[in-house]
Amino acid sequence: MFRALQITFGIAIVIFLLMPIFAILPLAFTSSVFLNYPIPAYSMRWMHELTTADVWRTSIVNSLIIGSGATVLATVLGTLASLGMRKGALPMVSLLRTLFLLPMVVPAVVLGVGMQIFLVRLGLASTYLGVTIAHSVLCIPFVIVSVSAALQGIDPSIERAASSLGAPPVTVFRRVTLPLAIPGVVSGAIFAFATSLDEVVLTLFVAGPNQRTLARQMFSSIRENINPTVAAAALLLIIGTLCLGGLAALLRWRQKRSALMTAPSAI
Amino acid sequence: MRPFIQFESVSKAFGSVTVVNALDLAIEKGEFVSLLGPSGSGKTTILMMLAGFERPTQGAIYLDGKRIDHLPPYRRQMGVVFQNYALFPHMSVAENVAFPLEMQRVPRAEIAERVERALDMVKLKHLKDRRPSQLSGGQQQRIALTRALVFEPSVILMDEPLGALDKQLREHMQLEIRELHKRLGLTIVFVTHDQSEALTMSDRIAVFNAGRIEQIDDPQVIYDTPRTRFVAEFIGETNLIEAKVASVDNHVAHLSLGAGLSARAHAGNGLSAGQTASFSLRPERIRLGAAPEGSNALDMTIADCIYHGDHMRVQLTHDDFSLVARCERLAGNWTIGASVVASFDPSDCTVLTQ
Amino acid sequence: MKAAILRERSGALLLVSPVLVFMAVFFLWPLWAMVTAAFVDDAVSKVLPRTAASIVSWDGQGIPSEAAHKALVQDLRVATDEQALGEAVRRLNSAASGFRTLLGRTIPAVKAASDPAQVDLLTVDPRWKDTRFWVALKEAMPPYTDRNILAAVDMKRDGSGSIVLEGADASAHRLIMLRTLLVAAMVTIACAVIGLPYAMLAASLTGWKRSVLLLAVVLPLWTSLLVRTAAWFILLQNEGLINGALQAIGLINSPLPLIFNRLGVVIAMTHVLLPFMVLPIYSVILGIPGNLMSAAQSMGAGPVRAFWRVLLPLSLPGILSGSLLVFMVAIGYYITPALLGGANDQMISSVIAFYATGTANWGLAGALGLILLVVTTVLYTIYGRFSTSPQVPGA
Ligand SMILES: Nc1ncnc2c1ncn2[C@@H]1O[C@H](COP(=O)(O)OP(=O)(O)OP(=O)(O)O)[C@@H](O)[C@H]1O
Ligand SMILES: [Mg+2]
Repeated sequence: MFRALQITFGIAIVIFLLMPIFAILPLAFTSSVFLNYPIPAYSMRWMHELTTADVWRTSIVNSLIIGSGATVLATVLGTLASLGMRKGALPMVSLLRTLFLLPMVVPAVVLGVGMQIFLVRLGLASTYLGVTIAHSVLCIPFVIVSVSAALQGIDPSIERAASSLGAPPVTVFRRVTLPLAIPGVVSGAIFAFATSLDEVVLTLFVAGPNQRTLARQMFSSIRENINPTVAAAALLLIIGTLCLGGLAALLRWRQKRSALMTAPSAI
Repeated sequence: MRPFIQFESVSKAFGSVTVVNALDLAIEKGEFVSLLGPSGSGKTTILMMLAGFERPTQGAIYLDGKRIDHLPPYRRQMGVVFQNYALFPHMSVAENVAFPLEMQRVPRAEIAERVERALDMVKLKHLKDRRPSQLSGGQQQRIALTRALVFEPSVILMDEPLGALDKQLREHMQLEIRELHKRLGLTIVFVTHDQSEALTMSDRIAVFNAGRIEQIDDPQVIYDTPRTRFVAEFIGETNLIEAKVASVDNHVAHLSLGAGLSARAHAGNGLSAGQTASFSLRPERIRLGAAPEGSNALDMTIADCIYHGDHMRVQLTHDDFSLVARCERLAGNWTIGASVVASFDPSDCTVLTQ
Repeated sequence: MKAAILRERSGALLLVSPVLVFMAVFFLWPLWAMVTAAFVDDAVSKVLPRTAASIVSWDGQGIPSEAAHKALVQDLRVATDEQALGEAVRRLNSAASGFRTLLGRTIPAVKAASDPAQVDLLTVDPRWKDTRFWVALKEAMPPYTDRNILAAVDMKRDGSGSIVLEGADASAHRLIMLRTLLVAAMVTIACAVIGLPYAMLAASLTGWKRSVLLLAVVLPLWTSLLVRTAAWFILLQNEGLINGALQAIGLINSPLPLIFNRLGVVIAMTHVLLPFMVLPIYSVILGIPGNLMSAAQSMGAGPVRAFWRVLLPLSLPGILSGSLLVFMVAIGYYITPALLGGANDQMISSVIAFYATGTANWGLAGALGLILLVVTTVLYTIYGRFSTSPQVPGA
């Protein structure tokens, strides 16, 4: 009796968690103008709309431009910082770390207001550079978390071994540290890109009409006049993030294996 | 002429804690020296100072007559084998072994040939394309050793290299390392806290306690005539006897052991009548029998007898004086409570300085 | 020795400094800009510096002396920055209505005059005889103000300068803050009520069943927030899947109002934030030795008692840190209430966004933002104190 209750509860919550995601997908292929079930007939109409209508197409392009920019910026800066904070040579490292992770915690709207005021002053409001910078601020924490974890997984004696075998510090970094940290860097970059792709609030504050991203376009489309293009965009985003997520999971799995293989007992 | 490796009053402190204290240590070329000591006695720290990963707070380290303590690790030409092997997980076995040669800018063709030869030496040539994760513990160990040997360093440093292996494999590797040492004439500094490993492998053993050398000697001297109480207790098993020196003549000390017993011991320098001193007597040097043999014979009672397969440990008492003896088997009808005579030579009872 | 440490330290600093500079400039500075926007009020004094200097001594009775008039004329003649002047006019007009037209007449006249000494303000426009305008001018001069932060909590200064409550009709910030806390609390409770049994269930299962339960939590985390919100929009609308299903099985005749109200907001936010509750509780429960419950039961405690006396107290740290996390993220939420809520479900973030993007009232947006920032920071500090592995929200 109790067991049956438990199972029912579990199934109900799994449905609650997953149903929305799966419910929206088929609507990408509806032939109707309404986002409703039952679907009268299937068609590629809205996918076509998504890839040809000007607002949608430019928003996809913008998302890719801004996402790549923010990813590169955040990955470079975040990786450097993780390397610098690694050995504990700096005083107050934990304070620095907290500072770098803070953008995850500060409400997006608060940061948005500040960014808007600040970028207007700099003359960067409504520019690609401004939006890219704003996104990078949100992406950096993800890169730092990911790269720091990867660096932490490197056994220091491996680097010592390289050094004792005649490798000067730069070579140790290039031949040993970097190759072992790369999976963390890549998955940090993936996190960064996914974050930028999904970012709406900051974009709302700092982007002009020319920098509308896909997420921002979805936001206004839901708000003003929702139609199945939103479902098509959602499908695109889900496929995109699932691919990225799968890639990150694969990397994490490989990293875990390579961490295992440095342990001597693993035969 | 300086010894090949020399520590000259080297101290190392981490913050306010002194881990190595005014260490003097000399190692000759081709020697196999073990650093033996309990956990935290500073063995790894000494090895890391020699390899260049730690800098002495005070003192100097010389290699082949040249002072090296200011040199970074990559300029010291020492092969280091780490406890967890520290193989590069992203490189194949061959790439791992080739790494030190590449660092020395050895020509490509020669690298291939030397890697081949080195892997052949440890009989692992067939594994050269594998990743370290695809090797067994013993194979990883051998690759780590090969990698440290291949660039013909002047010294090999090993920090508990066999600690992670099971007993059988460990004994096998001990022989293999010992054999390589002999064949290639290597100078090896070997850290361990396993006393039997140190005893079987080394030319000399340095026993450490709290950052100081208690005794440095060849294995047999260390075992037979430990100089300090710490060494006597740390290596093997021993009977520690507190005794009063009744008289000393002609290098023989007459001891009164208490409970009316007396014995003779080999007297070291500076032992004088009337003084109390500690002595070490190894259990296996005690012979048990019905009648006295030799110059020392104590009447004892068997308090307990423990079977160990290849030997027996016998607990002996006489009032409040007690000894442990080790013998192959008990002869006759000795049972617990029976009386026996424990005999030993004066030269097996050695005086300890503290 | 010292040199080596110094070299290592400067190397590390070199690596960290780009991010440090970047974060200082593009994260801390914007936050600081927001805070100062709430307190700085120099739009008028920047444009009219001479007037500011000479009007200080005026006692507020009648009209100021001739010197103040001259200073104002001088200031207006040299004011060339159109944008700054516009800001100043806007600020003055909001303090005393009619100021815009008054200055609209005065400025051209002053600029056209050949000799500034000859200009008499009272003849240019007789409204300069009105004390009201001069008072507004004087009050706009101090470069710092607490007007915004007071307005953020529905208060203001009255004529005599003491702090009083705003009239009930004027503004509703307190109501909105209360509503924000209420919605966040509802979401937190909903998450806890669902999350605790769910985490316990997941921890008690093994193999693929556990994987399914955990995957169901992680998959939404990986899905775009906007996609999830759009999905709930589709599910909850009047013609949506839920209403359609309920009508189809005959449970209801007319659609239930699920969207553009509090219920819709709470449902969707619970869905979004549930993972942040489940994961901490789950990891805490995993750390509880499995035989503890059986041990308690073997000592005579029934399953219910064993739950109350053993499992619940032990999983409390997880519940607490999950709740703090959910609450903290919820009070700053913007997208979901903005898309699924009605006019009466807007939370503080929506109001901030409204002031900042809708009316360009950055002072008030900054003040409300500061309050939200402070509350969030306090919650995060508490959270960081007793959560051993700070798990950071991704939303
Ligand atoms: N980097 C360090 N900072 C502070 N203290 C240290 C550091 N490295 C070692 N120590 C301390 O120095 C002492 C000696 O350490 P060391 O590693 O040399 O011991 P060991 O003899 O190798 O022990 P084990 O057999 O356990 O490996 C220990 O008490 C250790 O805590
Ligand atoms: Mg050690």
